[in-house]
Amino acid sequence: MTIALQDNVIRLIGSCPAEDGETLLQHLLTNPAAQIDWQGCESAHTTVIQVLLVSGRTVRGPAGGPFLERFIGPALARFNRQV
Amino acid sequence: MNEFMEQFLLESRELIVQAIDDLMALEAKPGDKESLDGAFRAFHTLKGAAGIVEFAAMARTLHAAEDILALLRSSTGAVSPNVLNECLACLDLTSRWLDAMQANGGTPPTAEADADEMIARLAGSMDIDESEKAVAAIPPGGDWLNRLQNAAGDQFFGTLTAVRLVPDPEAFFHGKDPISAIASLPKLLIVDLAPTDPAISLEAMNTFSCNLEILALTRAPIGEIREALHGFGDRAEICQLIPSQMPALDADHLARATAILEAQIGLLREEELGGLLGRLASAGRASANTLRYIGKSALAAEIEAASAVALAQGKAGPLITAIETALQREATSTQSTNTPTAQIAASRALRVDMDRIDALVRLTGELLVVKNTIGHLARKLQNHEGPEAVSSALHDQHARFDRLTAELQRAVLRIRVLPLRTVFRRFPRLVREIAGDVGKTVRLIIEGEGTEADATIVDALFEPLLHVLRNAVDHGIETSAGRELAAKPAMGTVIVRGRQDAENILIEIEDDGAGIDVDRIRTVAAARGIASEEALSAMPDAEAVDLIFSAGFSTAATVTGLSGRGVGMDSVRAAVGRLGGTAGVRSRRGIGTTVSLVLPFSLMMTRVMTVEAAGQAFGLPLDSVLETTIVSRSAIAPIGSGRAFVLRERTIPLINLAEALGLTCDEADRQSAKIVVVSTSGQIGGLEVDRLGERLDVMLKPMEGLLGGMRSVSGTTLLGDGRVLVVLDLQELFA
Amino acid sequence: MNGSSKKRILIIDDAALIRTYYRSALEVRGFIVEEALNGLEGLEKVLLQSFDLAIVDVNMPQMDGITFLLELRSKQLPVSGVPVLVISTEAGIQDLAAARRAGANYYLVKPIKQEVLAEYAAVFCGAPQ
Repeated sequence: MTIALQDNVIRLIGSCPAEDGETLLQHLLTNPAAQIDWQGCESAHTTVIQVLLVSGRTVRGPAGGPFLERFIGPALARFNRQV
Repeated sequence: MNEFMEQFLLESRELIVQAIDDLMALEAKPGDKESLDGAFRAFHTLKGAAGIVEFAAMARTLHAAEDILALLRSSTGAVSPNVLNECLACLDLTSRWLDAMQANGGTPPTAEADADEMIARLAGSMDIDESEKAVAAIPPGGDWLNRLQNAAGDQFFGTLTAVRLVPDPEAFFHGKDPISAIASLPKLLIVDLAPTDPAISLEAMNTFSCNLEILALTRAPIGEIREALHGFGDRAEICQLIPSQMPALDADHLARATAILEAQIGLLREEELGGLLGRLASAGRASANTLRYIGKSALAAEIEAASAVALAQGKAGPLITAIETALQREATSTQSTNTPTAQIAASRALRVDMDRIDALVRLTGELLVVKNTIGHLARKLQNHEGPEAVSSALHDQHARFDRLTAELQRAVLRIRVLPLRTVFRRFPRLVREIAGDVGKTVRLIIEGEGTEADATIVDALFEPLLHVLRNAVDHGIETSAGRELAAKPAMGTVIVRGRQDAENILIEIEDDGAGIDVDRIRTVAAARGIASEEALSAMPDAEAVDLIFSAGFSTAATVTGLSGRGVGMDSVRAAVGRLGGTAGVRSRRGIGTTVSLVLPFSLMMTRVMTVEAAGQAFGLPLDSVLETTIVSRSAIAPIGSGRAFVLRERTIPLINLAEALGLTCDEADRQSAKIVVVSTSGQIGGLEVDRLGERLDVMLKPMEGLLGGMRSVSGTTLLGDGRVLVVLDLQELFA
Repeated sequence: MNGSSKKRILIIDDAALIRTYYRSALEVRGFIVEEALNGLEGLEKVLLQSFDLAIVDVNMPQMDGITFLLELRSKQLPVSGVPVLVISTEAGIQDLAAARRAGANYYLVKPIKQEVLAEYAAVFCGAPQ
């Protein structure tokens, strides 16, 4: 299980595959107030990052994987500031 | 509208016509190489012009069209009508943009959206051509490089590769993970993400479809990046950015010098052997001059020596070594190079008729004869020959010398002279366009275009004359219906007439329109508070008509796109005034209006540097300005009753300009002082000012009236915005 | 810079607008400017007059900037030693490389601001501080 919902926190864990995009989307739609945490996330498929981007929500980090932390985190933050 | 905009519009229109001609020729004769080349070049030049006026939407639209024409040039097949149509549509769109710019002065607000659509159409036109439907072209990205630059901030320097990846929406089904592909790029600097549809929401999104625009910047060479993203085909736009595009470089002239020196090494290391001596000599000159520019004359001399050795040996080695040494020493040098930038005296080039140069040559010859004769007479005197003979000969020579100097003076003045034709000839086309825009028919008659005046005056006449002509066509000439009622020919007439009148040039712009409604002028002037009602009713008509030159006056009932640019006839009077001339107007109801400009034949300009003190602008004669500098307040020490600072181990007295002029200076708690270092009768002094301004050529007028008695002032001139610039006499200031 | 040592710059570009734009940038800084409409005309000018710098476009009719460079560098000194600044709309690294192979001393990308151009011209002409 690479996406877990617990205590109103959606955790991304390990390497999230393509199908996790849809799972994450469903979690977000059914739990509009849930927080997202990717501290345990090593890497994530584009489908997952696309959902994070569109959600506009802050992701609790730092991300587990260096690419996510260094490049994707700042990109999401920049996009959220613009919108 | 500035001079570039004016020329941009004129020239772009010509290019459009040329491109249309070539495209039509291509349609008649598909595959005609010459027409295709011509069209390509016209699009290319149009794109360049758009770049100059910073019209990004136009530049990228034309770039897209140019790309298509470039493809056609490299393919052998005939050009399909579809492609031609889209290219013509592209020119049509550009033409509409130009019209909008002419009318409003700025780039049209819809341009970006128009450009997106046009680029998509152009891309589409090629798709249909290809027998197998290729991967759909990448959607237009607008200014993605700029966005990337903003995101990258200060990482945006050096040689970079930029990527814009907009994966196919089906990418996930093809097993692709675009962001992972980006993650695997070497030397990644930054990634930027945006949904292709900015309005997308969680509720509406489809997680199985990829709708992302991914931008990335890396320091890896473009080849590596191309290879890494090969699988995305056309969906990945990859380009290499070369250092000169980096704004950081322009900010720092040391960095610029380094880049230029490195480029010379690059040039010298090229394996191509052709023209070796030329490469050596040019690289040597470029390197030495670059070093000289940053104040390293000793290093420059070393480069020159090495260059001579290299040329003698026919080998690049010695020069490369010398440049490398210079680069190292420059890098390790601790000496501050933060000296002010070079200041070069202004000059404007002028095309001069050969006959006039010949006249000077002839005069020079005659002067030489006089000089020789006087020398001969001097020797006679030395030899104690009869003083009567010498004295009479000397008298003759003096008369001849007198005549020659007068001729020389005239000949020199004539060199700076241009015929009015150089500005008049631009008007027929412009007047036709202006008339067309307001739905009138007007003929323009030009008289006396051979009249000559100082080149500076002739050049500066274009804007004010165009403004008067606009007014004449737009407000002076009636509509054809109105003219019919007044029993006038349907076509209006505007005459532009130039003639010399003693020492002056007289230019008249005469129209046979409705004339100026003086009562309306009085009403408007009263409403605008330009003069009191009593004063206005007591005012003779001729004087009231003159009020159109007052600031902020505009009587047009409807402000049209043409004349309604917020500039009135006051700008005409100001422009003419700056040249030392006057503007006047005569008008008869129902008969027409004549605006006359009287200008001096020649003028002497003074170069000044503007500064601000106590909120006012002052001019300093540029020939006494040595440099400008910024000095920390702690480095300014009181000396006796005054103050001084140290510049390059030299103590320089400092006065505050506002104080010295007896103006209230808000003793700011600024950390540093802006200082103009000036030299006056051999003395060097510093003037503290609030702001440093620009350099201007002005025509000085002596002080009159109240200001006439003001100390330390050498004259005044009008600034472009109508303010009076007081030019200071530095000698009096430091006395 | 005194009157006798004014630096001379040759602008080679087929677009009149660009030439005017460069000219006005350079003349206010005291340079003497000559113009040529293409490489061929540029070559004629450098053979007849001496220049401190040539500013050259790449894409031009009759003779392009690259051919101009190759021709220029193959002439006798001092003509062949005129420093050349190429300013082109093409921003690719391969365009830079082609210009350098042909003998360009530096490469800038259009559009270029007037102040920046004037600054580069001053650097190449070694305008003293």
